[in-house]
Amino acid sequence: MSVLLLLAVMAAIGAAGYIFCRGRVMAQVGGNPRELHSLPGYYGWNGAIMATLPALAVMVVWLIAQPLILESRVVSHLPEATAAEPAARKLAMADIRRVASGLDLAVAGGAIPAQDVATISPGEVRARLGTVGVALGSDVTPETLAAAITWRDQARSGLIGRSVVVILVALAGLAYALMATKPDFRARNRVEKVVLGGLIAASTVAILTTVGIVASMLSESFEFFGMYPWTEFFFGVTWSPNFSGGSTFGFLPLLWGTLYITLVAMLVAVPLGLFAAIYLAEYASPRARSVIKPLIEVIAGIPTVVFGIFALITVGPFLRDWLAQPLGLGNSGSSVMTAGIVIGILNIPYISSLSDDIINAVPQSLRDGSFGLGATKSETVRQVVLPAALPGIVGAGLMATSRAIGETMIVVMGAGAAAKLSLNPFEAMTTMTVKIVGQLTGDTDFGSPETLVAFALGMTLFVITLCLNILALYVVRKYREQYE
Amino acid sequence: MNDMRIVERTVDTHDVKIDAKDVNVHYGTSHALKGVSVAIPDKTVTAFIGPSGCGKSTFLRCLNRMNDTIASCRVDGLIALDGEDIYDRRVDPVQLRAKVGMVFQKPNPFPKSIYDNVSYGPKIHGLTRNKAELDEIVESCLKKAALWNEVKDRLHSPGTGLSGGQQQRLCIARAIATSPEVLLMDEPCSALDPIATAQVEELIDELRSSFSVVIVTHSMQQAARVSQRTAFFHLGNLVEYGETGQIFTSPQDPRTESYISGRIG
Ligand SMILES: Nc1ncnc2c1ncn2[C@@H]1O[C@H](COP(=O)(O)OP(=O)(O)OP(=O)(O)O)[C@@H](O)[C@H]1O
Ligand SMILES: [Mg+2]
Repeated sequence: MSVLLLLAVMAAIGAAGYIFCRGRVMAQVGGNPRELHSLPGYYGWNGAIMATLPALAVMVVWLIAQPLILESRVVSHLPEATAAEPAARKLAMADIRRVASGLDLAVAGGAIPAQDVATISPGEVRARLGTVGVALGSDVTPETLAAAITWRDQARSGLIGRSVVVILVALAGLAYALMATKPDFRARNRVEKVVLGGLIAASTVAILTTVGIVASMLSESFEFFGMYPWTEFFFGVTWSPNFSGGSTFGFLPLLWGTLYITLVAMLVAVPLGLFAAIYLAEYASPRARSVIKPLIEVIAGIPTVVFGIFALITVGPFLRDWLAQPLGLGNSGSSVMTAGIVIGILNIPYISSLSDDIINAVPQSLRDGSFGLGATKSETVRQVVLPAALPGIVGAGLMATSRAIGETMIVVMGAGAAAKLSLNPFEAMTTMTVKIVGQLTGDTDFGSPETLVAFALGMTLFVITLCLNILALYVVRKYREQYE
Repeated sequence: MNDMRIVERTVDTHDVKIDAKDVNVHYGTSHALKGVSVAIPDKTVTAFIGPSGCGKSTFLRCLNRMNDTIASCRVDGLIALDGEDIYDRRVDPVQLRAKVGMVFQKPNPFPKSIYDNVSYGPKIHGLTRNKAELDEIVESCLKKAALWNEVKDRLHSPGTGLSGGQQQRLCIARAIATSPEVLLMDEPCSALDPIATAQVEELIDELRSSFSVVIVTHSMQQAARVSQRTAFFHLGNLVEYGETGQIFTSPQDPRTESYISGRIG
């Protein structure tokens, strides 16, 4: 039975659980729901949950455990040397799986009669599988074939076992729920507990993902710092990786480039976005608003690589010809200014959209209070509306900052890829994200510091954005305490 | 009879501060106020009474053009302040509202400190020359609003942290800090305890010596206690308007009679 079919069966048992438990409790009180502790539907839901949830858990565990168990069983077919070496063992296992699934396909497609599978000779496997479209790179060794046949057999019995066990668990859950169904059973509380569990699980997924990301990056970063002194990484001022050895990984030019470009981007995005939001929320007529707001939000839908092109062929040359060269500040089209301005424009709709919602959420009574004292519209906006909306606006700004720090494509095309420490905003510089991509593309050897430095950079970037978020929380909370 | 004439004469000596003639208000298609004409005298307290939804707040908001902020609201008719049409195009509603202050039905302190709430108006209108003067205004307004003793030690904590009744008194202090010529109060005491109510009523009586006060109230006793003139609204119509004493003792209209007796008796 396939997983999908099994799920369908479980759903059917769950539906039966709903109907039976609801019917049973209603019969017990003679159709008078007032004598029940909970609404009849809750008894039904309890039945459905008890029938499906444990069975689902068993199925998930089985799905995870079966390949592991199978692997330990077939490993005995492999030569000692292969079994002992993790990498070779991994490769051999992949072969076995491919052959096993090829045999399945061949049997299903009629290329090999089912009863012949056990007796097939290693020499003809490759040709036979080729006829059903399973291409194998080399001839199959007898050990691999034997292992594949064992794998296939065991997997099939595992499949049957899985269906039987899961259905039994579902039925047992149903029976248990039916027995527990009595008028004074607190079905509502039980169901709500399960819902609560679901909510907690949902939030745990996000947290666990973060923990997982950090853990995987941490181990690689530690490996890097084992090869390269951390003082030179964090305080070094030259970045010159060299894949043939002798690299220096000074992180400061990258940090500087990142912060500089982000600063320029925010100097563009925050005022423009905020002013647009104030216009939309406080001044625009409903008709103007219904046209302008979607138009601004169109920007958010443009792929960043298109923005990169804009930076490369329009903004960069323009800034070079009209500002950098006349002022004698260099003649590079790629510059911090170019990338910063374009990233800033990209972030305008985020800030304006979020701030617009936040400003709209400020109660009208506050505006009325201010107008009633003879304040003008702009005094009201500046002194009442914006302070009330500030925590949300700070949040929007920090969200945009995180996006700006993480932006890669526009930096490559607008600011170049040269790591440099300079105050001149018309010079080409680059950011951490660009260098992470640079170190991981092309010929990568995950044991060399040239590659591992990417993880150290990623980890540092993560810590920086984390600090930014903590700062934001602190600012917002401090503000709240003052005014709520 | 004699008494009556004396009272009438004292009222007549005051100039008319606000003169409303045939005011109609529509919210979209619904006709909320139907042909209301009222002459509100200077240096008096005028009470608006009437059942809920009869248009008292709507009429009050016409007097300082707060209805301008509601897109669906249309006001027709003539409303003159000191003889000048306030809906004239040359009139700046912002300046008008500085002269005609308002306390709202629901307390709406700004999310600022208590001090900043009260000093908001004086700062905007440049009423003070230095910090000391501002401090003085804040203190005197909070005292008049019967809030000073409760907040004098925490002037810089947020106004939104006060209780509902304290917030309402803060809003009263905030409104009188701009020293308006007319003060519109929409049920200012609905969230106050009897002691604070008495204090606010005392304040209203005090304010009468310098400017005119219009107060909306659901309490007949309050209207009788603080006001010299009373207007009774019913379903968007002004039913009766006159001396408070006369409205309460010998109402001319049967609707006024039944409303008052229903509430009092
Ligand atoms: N913003 C608005 N939009 C549409 N209709 C409104 C609006 N404000 C008030 N109305 C309507 O106008 C009528 C008068 O309302 P108003 O607020 O003036 O009553 P009120 O006399 O102050 O009542 P209450 O004593 O309950 O405060 C009501 O029918 C109300 O539904
Ligand atoms: Mg009202």
